[in-house]
Amino acid sequence: MKTVLFAAALLASVSSIAQAAPVAYKLDPAHTSVAFIINHLGFANMIGRFNTASGAVSFDKDAVQNSTLTVAIDAASVDTAHAKRDDHLRSPDFFNVKEFPQITFKSTKIEKTGDRTGKLHGDLTMLGTTKPVVLDVTFNKEGVSPASKLETVGFSARGTVKRTDFGMKYGVPNIGDEIQLLIEAEAVKS
Amino acid sequence: MSLLDDLVVQTAVFPLLAGLIGVGLLRYAAGPARGRRLAAAGVAVAFLAAYALIVGVPALPPPSSMGRLFWSAVAGVVLGIAADVAGLEPKRGSLLVGVWLTAALGWVAYPVLPGGLPTITAAAVLVAGAWFALSRTASHGAAGAATPGVVLLAAALAVGGVALVGASASVAQLAFALAAATGGLLLWNWPVEHHAWGTAGQAALGILVLLTAALTFFSSAPVEALVAVLPAFLADRLRDRLPLPDTSFGRAAGTVALTVIAVVPAVAAVGIAVLLSAGTEASGY
Repeated sequence: MKTVLFAAALLASVSSIAQAAPVAYKLDPAHTSVAFIINHLGFANMIGRFNTASGAVSFDKDAVQNSTLTVAIDAASVDTAHAKRDDHLRSPDFFNVKEFPQITFKSTKIEKTGDRTGKLHGDLTMLGTTKPVVLDVTFNKEGVSPASKLETVGFSARGTVKRTDFGMKYGVPNIGDEIQLLIEAEAVKS
Repeated sequence: MSLLDDLVVQTAVFPLLAGLIGVGLLRYAAGPARGRRLAAAGVAVAFLAAYALIVGVPALPPPSSMGRLFWSAVAGVVLGIAADVAGLEPKRGSLLVGVWLTAALGWVAYPVLPGGLPTITAAAVLVAGAWFALSRTASHGAAGAATPGVVLLAAALAVGGVALVGASASVAQLAFALAAATGGLLLWNWPVEHHAWGTAGQAALGILVLLTAALTFFSSAPVEALVAVLPAFLADRLRDRLPLPDTSFGRAAGTVALTVIAVVPAVAAVGIAVLLSAGTEASGY
């Protein structure tokens, strides 16, 4: 009896260790939005987005601090629903996409702050400059998507960066220095 | 928002005043003999000050092409001033500037240079145009600053106009600021020329070439239009054919005529850029 109980406990502990391993996911580009809000001359905030982003998530539901995230954004995919402004944003005045075609994020640490919330620390690289940023992240849901029938996890992230920290100084203060980031992402099991 | 954040102040008023004051101070500080040649360095120094105001001083080492442009300009100004202080002969000074400029172009543009034949061709045309412009302005340097100054002003206005058409407002602002700084030098040299165009003056022309390179390699501006501005560097030949008397009035009128003649190809370049960009919305949003 004692042997059976011991074996059962051992099996349970081995199973829980196996369940704690991070699971690999790939960002679903069709259900990933990377948007930003920036102040325009004090009159109103302008909303824009990057239409092309890709990335990978290694998610450990039971030990979130072991999870990692890498994202690559195509800087030329910037879209503010105005062709001339988008051309300007791609120019050396702002995102300088011919010289720096990608904006990347690589997580360094995750701090759990609640049951489904946390602080995502990482390195954001833009215009050849890398700076640490912290995003408030919410884990929304995990399961099989009824639409795709694939195992999916969903996250929301919010944060603020100063573009001058990355050398993007043109137009400050007329065009705001602080950029609010809004990220909604679904990732599908690889 | 302070006065220094105003677009017109940043682009025109500040660089004009900085050029005016810089040229005057350099002439005064270096004395009548050396100062006559050194004073034109005030143009490039005023440009660097305007750059710091418009874009901010880039980090060192610079992570981007615009940052490399700034620090290349600093190197060119230092080289030019050193050559003028040492009394380097104009042709050798221009050769020095040519070597600096070719190296600076490579440094600014290296991320895109492996981009294939169109990029290499654009780089070759840029270098050839730069050497042509430098040789033209060097031939007038010892006589006075007005001729090369007017041509630089016209060419800078052209680069600024093309940059505006091509949605690169910072390069446009910087080119217009260079034009305004050159205006500061010209105010000292009209109707009577007081200064020569030394090696540091040639470095200011080199800065304009670097701005053109930034437009060529990193923006969608129709830079091929700028080939139309090269005849501005031959404007003095047309001016010399005018029946102007060899008096102070004649010389002053000659500078005005030179300005008009040089501005024509500059306006043509901007017009061609507008035509090449036809179908896009007007700027301003």
